[in-house]
Amino acid sequence: MNFDYAYILRISVPILEGTKLTLTLFAITLTFSLPLGLLTSFIRIGRFAFLRRAAAFYITVTRGTPLLLQLFFVYYGLPFFPGIKGLIVLDRFPAAALTFVFNYAAYFAEIFRGGILSVDRGQHEAARVLGFSKYQTAMKIVVPQMFKVVLPAVCNESITLVKDTALVTVLGLGELLHFAKAAVNRDSNISAFIVAGVFYLVMTTVITWVFKKLEDHFMFE
Amino acid sequence: MTILRIENIRKSFGKLEVLKGVSLSVNKGEVIAIIGPSGSGKSTTLRCVINLEKVNDGSIYVDEEAMVENGEYRPEKHIHRLTAKMSMVFQHFNLFPHMTVRENLSMAPLIVKKEHPDIVQERCEELLRKVGLKDKIDAYPSRLSGGQKQRVAIARALMMQPEIMLFDEPTSSLDPELIGEVLGVMKALASEHMTMVVVTHEMGFAREAADTVLFMDEGVILERGTPQEIFGNPKNERTRVFLDRVL
Repeated sequence: MNFDYAYILRISVPILEGTKLTLTLFAITLTFSLPLGLLTSFIRIGRFAFLRRAAAFYITVTRGTPLLLQLFFVYYGLPFFPGIKGLIVLDRFPAAALTFVFNYAAYFAEIFRGGILSVDRGQHEAARVLGFSKYQTAMKIVVPQMFKVVLPAVCNESITLVKDTALVTVLGLGELLHFAKAAVNRDSNISAFIVAGVFYLVMTTVITWVFKKLEDHFMFE
Repeated sequence: MTILRIENIRKSFGKLEVLKGVSLSVNKGEVIAIIGPSGSGKSTTLRCVINLEKVNDGSIYVDEEAMVENGEYRPEKHIHRLTAKMSMVFQHFNLFPHMTVRENLSMAPLIVKKEHPDIVQERCEELLRKVGLKDKIDAYPSRLSGGQKQRVAIARALMMQPEIMLFDEPTSSLDPELIGEVLGVMKALASEHMTMVVVTHEMGFAREAADTVLFMDEGVILERGTPQEIFGNPKNERTRVFLDRVL
Protein backbone atom coordinates (compact mmCIF):
# COMPACT_ATOMS: atom_id res chain seq x y z
CA MET A 1 0.00 0.00 0.00
CA ASN A 2 1.58 3.24 -1.06
CA PHE A 3 0.82 6.48 0.67
CA ASP A 4 -1.10 8.76 -1.59
CA TYR A 5 -1.56 12.11 0.14
CA ALA A 6 -3.78 13.48 -2.56
CA TYR A 7 -6.10 10.51 -2.19
CA ILE A 8 -6.20 10.82 1.58
CA LEU A 9 -7.01 14.51 1.29
CA ARG A 10 -9.75 13.70 -1.20
CA ILE A 11 -11.49 11.11 0.96
CA SER A 12 -11.08 13.32 4.04
CA VAL A 13 -13.50 15.86 2.63
CA PRO A 14 -16.65 13.67 2.85
CA ILE A 15 -15.41 12.17 6.14
CA LEU A 16 -15.06 15.69 7.52
CA GLU A 17 -18.56 16.38 6.26
CA GLY A 18 -19.77 13.30 8.15
CA THR A 19 -17.95 14.50 11.26
CA LYS A 20 -20.38 17.43 11.36
CA LEU A 21 -23.26 15.04 11.92
CA THR A 22 -21.22 13.03 14.41
CA LEU A 23 -20.45 16.15 16.43
CA THR A 24 -24.02 17.42 16.20
CA LEU A 25 -25.34 14.14 17.55
CA PHE A 26 -22.67 14.21 20.25
CA ALA A 27 -23.55 17.76 21.30
CA ILE A 28 -27.31 17.17 21.30
CA THR A 29 -26.93 13.97 23.31
CA LEU A 30 -24.75 15.58 25.99
CA THR A 31 -26.84 18.74 26.19
CA PHE A 32 -30.05 16.87 26.88
CA SER A 33 -28.93 13.64 28.54
CA LEU A 34 -26.92 15.34 31.30
CA PRO A 35 -29.85 17.32 32.76
CA LEU A 36 -32.24 14.43 32.08
CA GLY A 37 -29.83 12.10 33.85
CA LEU A 38 -29.56 14.47 36.82
CA LEU A 39 -33.33 14.68 37.06
CA THR A 40 -33.62 10.90 36.85
CA SER A 41 -31.01 10.43 39.58
CA PHE A 42 -32.97 12.80 41.86
CA ILE A 43 -36.16 10.87 41.19
CA ARG A 44 -34.32 7.59 41.70
CA ILE A 45 -33.38 8.56 45.27
CA GLY A 46 -36.37 10.79 45.84
CA ARG A 47 -39.34 10.64 48.12
CA PHE A 48 -41.97 9.11 45.88
CA ALA A 49 -41.91 5.33 45.73
CA PHE A 50 -43.84 5.09 42.48
CA LEU A 51 -41.53 7.50 40.67
CA ARG A 52 -38.51 5.77 42.18
CA ARG A 53 -39.65 2.47 40.72
CA ALA A 54 -40.47 4.03 37.36
CA ALA A 55 -36.98 5.54 37.17
CA ALA A 56 -35.41 2.21 38.14
CA PHE A 57 -37.43 0.46 35.43
CA TYR A 58 -36.38 2.98 32.80
CA ILE A 59 -32.72 2.56 33.77
CA THR A 60 -32.95 -1.24 33.78
CA VAL A 61 -34.50 -1.41 30.33
CA THR A 62 -32.27 1.22 28.78
CA ARG A 63 -29.02 -0.11 30.20
CA GLY A 64 -30.05 -3.70 29.74
CA THR A 65 -30.63 -3.64 25.98
CA PRO A 66 -28.23 -2.78 23.16
CA LEU A 67 -28.18 0.78 21.92
CA LEU A 68 -28.28 -0.61 18.40
CA LEU A 69 -31.52 -2.43 19.16
CA GLN A 70 -32.96 0.77 20.64
CA LEU A 71 -32.07 2.64 17.45
CA PHE A 72 -33.87 0.02 15.35
CA PHE A 73 -36.79 0.04 17.71
CA VAL A 74 -37.30 3.81 17.73
CA TYR A 75 -36.78 4.29 14.01
CA TYR A 76 -38.39 1.19 12.52
CA GLY A 77 -40.48 -0.17 15.38
CA LEU A 78 -42.19 2.82 16.91
CA PRO A 79 -44.39 3.63 13.89
CA PHE A 80 -45.91 0.14 14.14
CA PHE A 81 -47.06 0.60 17.71
CA PRO A 82 -50.83 0.74 18.10
CA GLY A 83 -51.86 4.22 19.14
CA ILE A 84 -48.62 5.74 17.99
CA LYS A 85 -49.07 4.51 14.46
CA GLY A 86 -49.26 7.39 12.09
CA LEU A 87 -48.84 9.93 14.89
CA ILE A 88 -45.11 9.77 15.23
CA VAL A 89 -42.96 9.02 12.27
CA LEU A 90 -39.54 10.22 13.21
CA ASP A 91 -37.00 11.17 10.67
CA ARG A 92 -33.68 9.35 10.82
CA PHE A 93 -31.75 12.00 12.70
CA PRO A 94 -34.43 12.90 15.30
CA ALA A 95 -34.94 9.19 15.91
CA ALA A 96 -31.22 8.71 16.46
CA ALA A 97 -30.90 11.78 18.68
CA LEU A 98 -33.91 10.79 20.80
CA THR A 99 -32.56 7.29 21.30
CA PHE A 100 -29.11 8.54 22.24
CA VAL A 101 -30.46 11.11 24.70
CA PHE A 102 -32.57 8.56 26.56
CA ASN A 103 -29.88 5.90 26.44
CA TYR A 104 -27.14 8.15 27.81
CA ALA A 105 -29.42 9.78 30.37
CA ALA A 106 -29.88 6.35 31.98
CA TYR A 107 -26.14 5.88 32.35
CA PHE A 108 -25.64 9.42 33.61
CA ALA A 109 -28.48 8.93 36.12
CA GLU A 110 -26.63 6.04 37.71
CA ILE A 111 -23.32 7.89 37.70
CA PHE A 112 -24.95 10.92 39.32
CA ARG A 113 -26.74 8.77 41.87
CA GLY A 114 -23.40 7.35 42.95
CA GLY A 115 -21.98 10.87 43.14
CA ILE A 116 -24.88 12.17 45.21
CA LEU A 117 -24.63 9.29 47.66
CA SER A 118 -20.89 9.90 48.03
CA VAL A 119 -21.51 13.34 49.57
CA ASP A 120 -20.94 13.05 53.31
CA ARG A 121 -23.96 13.07 55.60
CA GLY A 122 -22.27 15.81 57.60
CA GLN A 123 -22.67 18.13 54.62
CA HIS A 124 -26.43 17.67 54.67
CA GLU A 125 -26.50 18.21 58.43
CA ALA A 126 -24.40 21.37 58.26
CA ALA A 127 -26.65 22.73 55.53
CA ARG A 128 -29.74 21.88 57.54
CA VAL A 129 -28.43 23.53 60.70
CA LEU A 130 -27.66 26.66 58.68
CA GLY A 131 -31.27 26.70 57.53
CA PHE A 132 -30.84 25.72 53.87
CA SER A 133 -33.96 24.38 52.20
CA LYS A 134 -33.83 20.96 50.56
CA TYR A 135 -33.59 22.63 47.16
CA GLN A 136 -30.81 24.96 48.28
CA THR A 137 -28.93 22.04 49.82
CA ALA A 138 -29.21 20.07 46.60
CA MET A 139 -28.17 22.93 44.32
CA LYS A 140 -25.53 24.67 46.43
CA ILE A 141 -24.03 21.83 48.42
CA VAL A 142 -24.70 18.40 46.93
CA VAL A 143 -24.59 18.93 43.17
CA PRO A 144 -21.32 20.91 43.08
CA GLN A 145 -19.60 18.26 45.20
CA MET A 146 -21.17 15.47 43.18
CA PHE A 147 -19.84 17.10 40.02
CA LYS A 148 -16.26 16.70 41.12
CA VAL A 149 -16.80 13.04 41.99
CA VAL A 150 -18.52 12.11 38.72
CA LEU A 151 -16.24 13.96 36.29
CA PRO A 152 -13.97 10.98 35.46
CA ALA A 153 -16.98 8.73 34.85
CA VAL A 154 -18.74 11.38 32.74
CA CYS A 155 -15.54 11.80 30.72
CA ASN A 156 -15.54 8.06 30.11
CA GLU A 157 -19.13 8.12 28.94
CA SER A 158 -18.48 11.10 26.68
CA ILE A 159 -15.66 9.24 24.97
CA THR A 160 -17.88 6.20 24.54
CA LEU A 161 -20.56 8.48 23.14
CA VAL A 162 -18.29 9.80 20.39
CA LYS A 163 -17.61 6.24 19.30
CA ASP A 164 -21.22 5.13 19.72
CA THR A 165 -22.35 7.75 17.22
CA ALA A 166 -20.92 5.40 14.59
CA LEU A 167 -23.92 3.17 15.24
CA VAL A 168 -26.31 5.53 13.46
CA THR A 169 -24.72 4.51 10.21
CA VAL A 170 -27.14 1.55 10.33
CA LEU A 171 -30.02 3.99 9.87
CA GLY A 172 -28.29 5.23 6.74
CA LEU A 173 -27.28 8.52 8.33
CA GLY A 174 -24.29 10.19 6.78
CA GLU A 175 -21.96 10.37 9.73
CA LEU A 176 -18.20 9.97 9.82
CA LEU A 177 -17.97 6.20 9.48
CA HIS A 178 -20.65 6.12 6.80
CA PHE A 179 -18.46 8.10 4.40
CA ALA A 180 -15.32 6.20 5.35
CA LYS A 181 -17.06 2.93 4.58
CA ALA A 182 -18.33 4.29 1.29
CA ALA A 183 -14.82 5.27 0.25
CA VAL A 184 -13.42 1.89 1.23
CA ASN A 185 -16.09 0.06 -0.78
CA ARG A 186 -15.73 2.29 -3.77
CA ASP A 187 -11.93 2.36 -3.96
CA SER A 188 -11.09 -1.03 -2.44
CA ASN A 189 -8.65 0.87 -0.25
CA ILE A 190 -8.75 0.82 3.55
CA SER A 191 -7.03 4.20 3.97
CA ALA A 192 -10.43 5.75 4.70
CA PHE A 193 -10.77 3.56 7.82
CA ILE A 194 -7.43 4.82 9.07
CA VAL A 195 -8.49 8.40 8.39
CA ALA A 196 -11.73 7.74 10.26
CA GLY A 197 -9.77 6.27 13.19
CA VAL A 198 -7.60 9.38 13.34
CA PHE A 199 -10.70 11.58 13.32
CA TYR A 200 -12.18 9.68 16.26
CA LEU A 201 -8.86 9.83 18.09
CA VAL A 202 -8.65 13.58 17.68
CA MET A 203 -12.16 14.03 19.02
CA THR A 204 -11.64 11.78 22.04
CA THR A 205 -8.32 13.48 22.77
CA VAL A 206 -10.00 16.87 22.81
CA ILE A 207 -12.71 15.53 25.14
CA THR A 208 -10.09 14.09 27.48
CA TRP A 209 -8.30 17.43 27.53
CA VAL A 210 -11.50 19.36 28.27
CA PHE A 211 -12.33 17.05 31.17
CA LYS A 212 -8.81 17.35 32.52
CA LYS A 213 -9.32 21.12 32.60
CA LEU A 214 -12.67 20.66 34.30
CA GLU A 215 -11.14 18.39 36.92
CA ASP A 216 -8.46 20.97 37.63
CA HIS A 217 -11.18 23.58 37.99
CA PHE A 218 -13.09 21.43 40.48
CA MET A 219 -10.07 20.70 42.68
CA PHE A 220 -11.18 23.29 45.26
CA GLU A 221 -7.68 24.11 46.40
CA MET B 1 -33.96 33.64 82.02
CA THR B 2 -34.40 30.19 80.59
CA ILE B 3 -33.62 30.11 76.88
CA LEU B 4 -33.65 26.35 76.31
CA ARG B 5 -35.59 23.79 78.25
CA ILE B 6 -35.63 20.06 77.66
CA GLU B 7 -38.05 17.89 79.56
CA ASN B 8 -37.77 14.16 79.83
CA ILE B 9 -36.79 13.47 76.22
CA ARG B 10 -36.49 9.90 75.04
CA LYS B 11 -34.91 8.65 71.87
CA SER B 12 -34.45 5.16 70.50
CA PHE B 13 -32.57 3.90 67.48
CA GLY B 14 -34.35 0.66 66.71
CA LYS B 15 -34.40 -1.29 69.95
CA LEU B 16 -31.59 0.68 71.48
CA GLU B 17 -32.81 3.44 73.78
CA VAL B 18 -30.09 6.07 73.83
CA LEU B 19 -31.94 8.78 75.75
CA LYS B 20 -33.96 7.59 78.71
CA GLY B 21 -35.58 10.77 79.92
CA VAL B 22 -33.15 13.67 79.75
CA SER B 23 -34.10 17.02 81.25
CA LEU B 24 -32.10 20.18 81.40
CA SER B 25 -32.56 23.89 81.19
CA VAL B 26 -30.16 26.50 79.96
CA ASN B 27 -30.22 30.12 81.04
CA LYS B 28 -29.28 32.97 78.76
CA GLY B 29 -25.52 33.44 78.82
CA GLU B 30 -24.92 30.16 80.58
CA VAL B 31 -22.17 27.79 79.47
CA ILE B 32 -23.05 24.15 80.00
CA ALA B 33 -20.56 21.35 79.51
CA ILE B 34 -21.89 17.84 79.04
CA ILE B 35 -19.38 15.17 79.88
CA GLY B 36 -19.58 11.41 80.04
CA PRO B 37 -18.39 8.21 78.41
CA SER B 38 -18.86 7.45 74.71
CA GLY B 39 -22.34 6.29 73.81
CA SER B 40 -23.91 7.94 76.82
CA GLY B 41 -26.27 10.03 74.68
CA LYS B 42 -24.50 13.40 74.89
CA SER B 43 -24.35 14.03 71.16
CA THR B 44 -27.83 12.64 70.58
CA THR B 45 -29.17 15.14 73.12
CA LEU B 46 -27.64 18.02 71.16
CA ARG B 47 -28.84 16.61 67.86
CA CYS B 48 -32.39 16.35 69.18
CA VAL B 49 -32.25 19.96 70.40
CA ILE B 50 -31.44 21.24 66.90
CA ASN B 51 -33.83 18.81 65.22
CA LEU B 52 -31.26 16.64 63.45
CA GLU B 53 -32.92 13.77 65.29
CA LYS B 54 -36.55 13.46 66.33
CA VAL B 55 -37.29 12.53 69.91
CA ASN B 56 -39.76 9.72 70.61
CA ASP B 57 -41.11 11.42 73.67
CA GLY B 58 -40.63 14.48 75.84
CA SER B 59 -40.59 18.22 75.22
CA ILE B 60 -38.15 20.81 73.97
CA TYR B 61 -38.77 24.54 74.45
CA VAL B 62 -36.74 27.33 72.92
CA ASP B 63 -37.42 30.76 74.42
CA GLU B 64 -40.36 29.05 76.14
CA GLU B 65 -41.90 28.13 72.80
CA ALA B 66 -42.48 24.44 72.23
CA MET B 67 -40.68 22.75 69.36
CA VAL B 68 -41.95 19.40 70.51
CA GLU B 69 -44.29 18.79 73.41
CA ASN B 70 -44.78 15.31 74.88
CA GLY B 71 -43.45 13.78 71.69
CA GLU B 72 -45.75 15.85 69.46
CA TYR B 73 -43.83 17.97 66.99
CA ARG B 74 -45.05 21.41 65.97
CA PRO B 75 -45.40 22.26 62.26
CA GLU B 76 -42.20 22.32 60.24
CA LYS B 77 -42.28 26.09 59.77
CA HIS B 78 -42.55 26.71 63.48
CA ILE B 79 -39.71 24.27 64.25
CA HIS B 80 -37.62 26.01 61.63
CA ARG B 81 -38.12 29.36 63.31
CA LEU B 82 -36.95 27.92 66.63
CA THR B 83 -33.95 26.02 65.33
CA ALA B 84 -32.86 29.19 63.53
CA LYS B 85 -32.06 30.62 66.98
CA MET B 86 -29.39 27.98 67.37
CA SER B 87 -26.22 27.10 65.56
CA MET B 88 -24.08 24.01 65.80
CA VAL B 89 -20.42 23.14 65.53
CA PHE B 90 -19.68 19.55 64.55
CA GLN B 91 -16.92 17.14 65.48
CA HIS B 92 -15.90 16.77 61.84
CA PHE B 93 -16.29 20.50 61.02
CA ASN B 94 -18.50 19.81 57.99
CA LEU B 95 -17.18 22.80 56.11
CA PHE B 96 -18.29 22.91 52.48
CA PRO B 97 -15.15 21.78 50.61
CA HIS B 98 -16.16 23.36 47.31
CA MET B 99 -16.42 26.83 48.79
CA THR B 100 -13.77 29.22 50.06
CA VAL B 101 -13.78 30.28 53.70
CA ARG B 102 -15.60 33.45 52.69
CA GLU B 103 -18.27 31.52 50.81
CA ASN B 104 -18.65 29.04 53.67
CA LEU B 105 -19.40 31.94 56.00
CA SER B 106 -21.51 34.05 53.64
CA MET B 107 -23.70 31.52 51.86
CA ALA B 108 -26.33 30.98 54.56
CA PRO B 109 -26.73 34.65 55.57
CA LEU B 110 -27.09 35.53 51.88
CA ILE B 111 -29.48 32.85 50.66
CA VAL B 112 -31.26 31.81 53.86
CA LYS B 113 -31.55 35.11 55.70
CA LYS B 114 -31.31 37.17 52.51
CA GLU B 115 -29.11 39.76 54.17
CA HIS B 116 -27.41 42.54 52.25
CA PRO B 117 -24.05 41.42 50.79
CA ASP B 118 -22.20 44.40 52.31
CA ILE B 119 -23.44 43.57 55.79
CA VAL B 120 -22.59 39.91 55.32
CA GLN B 121 -19.14 40.78 54.03
CA GLU B 122 -18.45 43.03 56.99
CA ARG B 123 -19.57 40.44 59.53
CA CYS B 124 -17.60 37.74 57.72
CA GLU B 125 -14.37 39.71 58.05
CA GLU B 126 -15.09 40.66 61.63
CA LEU B 127 -15.72 37.07 62.70
CA LEU B 128 -12.67 35.76 60.85
CA ARG B 129 -10.59 38.35 62.66
CA LYS B 130 -12.11 37.17 65.89
CA VAL B 131 -11.08 33.54 65.27
CA GLY B 132 -7.72 34.71 63.97
CA LEU B 133 -8.14 33.61 60.36
CA LYS B 134 -8.70 36.82 58.44
CA ASP B 135 -5.78 35.96 56.16
CA LYS B 136 -7.47 32.68 55.14
CA ILE B 137 -10.61 34.35 53.82
CA ASP B 138 -10.06 33.19 50.23
CA ALA B 139 -8.58 29.78 51.03
CA TYR B 140 -10.39 26.52 50.42
CA PRO B 141 -10.91 24.27 53.48
CA SER B 142 -8.50 21.68 52.02
CA ARG B 143 -5.71 24.19 52.64
CA LEU B 144 -6.48 24.55 56.36
CA SER B 145 -5.33 22.56 59.37
CA GLY B 146 -7.91 20.81 61.53
CA GLY B 147 -7.78 23.56 64.15
CA GLN B 148 -8.22 26.23 61.50
CA LYS B 149 -11.14 24.35 59.95
CA GLN B 150 -12.90 24.16 63.29
CA ARG B 151 -12.33 27.87 63.93
CA VAL B 152 -13.83 28.61 60.51
CA ALA B 153 -16.75 26.34 61.40
CA ILE B 154 -17.30 28.31 64.62
CA ALA B 155 -17.21 31.56 62.66
CA ARG B 156 -19.67 30.12 60.14
CA ALA B 157 -22.04 29.16 62.96
CA LEU B 158 -21.72 32.65 64.46
CA MET B 159 -22.56 34.24 61.09
CA MET B 160 -26.16 33.22 61.70
CA GLN B 161 -26.14 35.32 64.89
CA PRO B 162 -27.55 32.52 67.04
CA GLU B 163 -28.81 32.93 70.57
CA ILE B 164 -27.47 29.50 71.47
CA MET B 165 -24.34 27.75 70.26
CA LEU B 166 -24.20 23.97 70.37
CA PHE B 167 -20.82 22.25 70.20
CA ASP B 168 -20.70 18.54 69.47
CA GLU B 169 -17.26 17.33 70.57
CA PRO B 170 -15.57 20.20 68.72
CA THR B 171 -12.03 19.08 69.53
CA SER B 172 -12.39 15.29 69.38
CA SER B 173 -11.03 14.89 65.86
CA LEU B 174 -8.14 17.31 66.32
CA ASP B 175 -4.48 16.58 66.89
CA PRO B 176 -3.61 17.41 70.51
CA GLU B 177 -1.48 20.41 69.57
CA LEU B 178 -4.42 21.99 67.70
CA ILE B 179 -6.99 21.66 70.46
CA GLY B 180 -5.80 24.76 72.30
CA GLU B 181 -6.55 27.21 69.51
CA VAL B 182 -10.15 25.99 69.23
CA LEU B 183 -10.73 25.99 72.98
CA GLY B 184 -9.27 29.51 73.04
CA VAL B 185 -11.95 30.73 70.65
CA MET B 186 -14.65 28.95 72.66
CA LYS B 187 -13.43 30.47 75.93
CA ALA B 188 -13.48 33.91 74.35
CA LEU B 189 -17.08 33.29 73.30
CA ALA B 190 -17.98 32.13 76.79
CA SER B 191 -16.48 35.26 78.28
CA GLU B 192 -18.75 37.32 76.00
CA HIS B 193 -21.71 35.55 77.60
CA MET B 194 -22.73 33.54 74.57
CA THR B 195 -25.12 30.80 75.60
CA MET B 196 -23.29 27.55 74.93
CA VAL B 197 -23.99 23.86 75.32
CA VAL B 198 -20.78 21.95 74.82
CA VAL B 199 -20.43 18.19 74.58
CA THR B 200 -16.78 17.65 75.32
CA HIS B 201 -14.03 15.33 76.45
CA GLU B 202 -11.92 18.33 77.39
CA MET B 203 -12.18 18.36 81.16
CA GLY B 204 -9.92 21.40 81.31
CA PHE B 205 -12.41 23.40 79.27
CA ALA B 206 -15.36 22.15 81.32
CA ARG B 207 -13.59 23.10 84.52
CA GLU B 208 -12.45 26.54 83.41
CA ALA B 209 -15.16 27.82 81.10
CA ALA B 210 -18.41 26.11 82.09
CA ASP B 211 -20.93 27.47 84.58
CA THR B 212 -22.61 24.10 84.89
CA VAL B 213 -21.29 20.62 84.24
CA LEU B 214 -23.60 17.70 83.47
CA PHE B 215 -22.44 14.12 83.70
CA MET B 216 -24.32 11.75 81.40
CA ASP B 217 -24.19 7.98 81.31
CA GLU B 218 -26.39 5.41 79.64
CA GLY B 219 -28.95 7.90 78.42
CA VAL B 220 -29.56 9.83 81.63
CA ILE B 221 -28.03 12.82 83.35
CA LEU B 222 -26.59 11.35 86.53
CA GLU B 223 -25.17 14.44 88.10
CA ARG B 224 -25.17 18.18 87.61
CA GLY B 225 -23.38 20.97 89.37
CA THR B 226 -20.77 23.66 89.18
CA PRO B 227 -17.34 22.59 87.92
CA GLN B 228 -16.12 22.83 91.53
CA GLU B 229 -18.80 20.41 92.68
CA ILE B 230 -18.41 17.92 89.84
CA PHE B 231 -14.64 17.90 89.64
CA GLY B 232 -13.93 18.62 93.32
CA ASN B 233 -16.45 16.44 95.01
CA PRO B 234 -18.50 14.21 92.69
CA LYS B 235 -21.43 12.63 94.51
CA ASN B 236 -22.30 9.89 92.08
CA GLU B 237 -20.10 6.80 92.06
CA ARG B 238 -20.14 6.55 88.23
CA THR B 239 -19.10 10.19 87.90
CA ARG B 240 -16.20 9.51 90.22
CA VAL B 241 -15.11 6.42 88.28
CA PHE B 242 -15.36 8.30 84.98
CA LEU B 243 -13.39 11.27 86.21
CA ASP B 244 -10.71 9.04 87.74
CA ARG B 245 -10.27 7.44 84.36
CA VAL B 246 -10.08 10.59 82.25
CA LEU B 247 -8.23 12.96 84.54
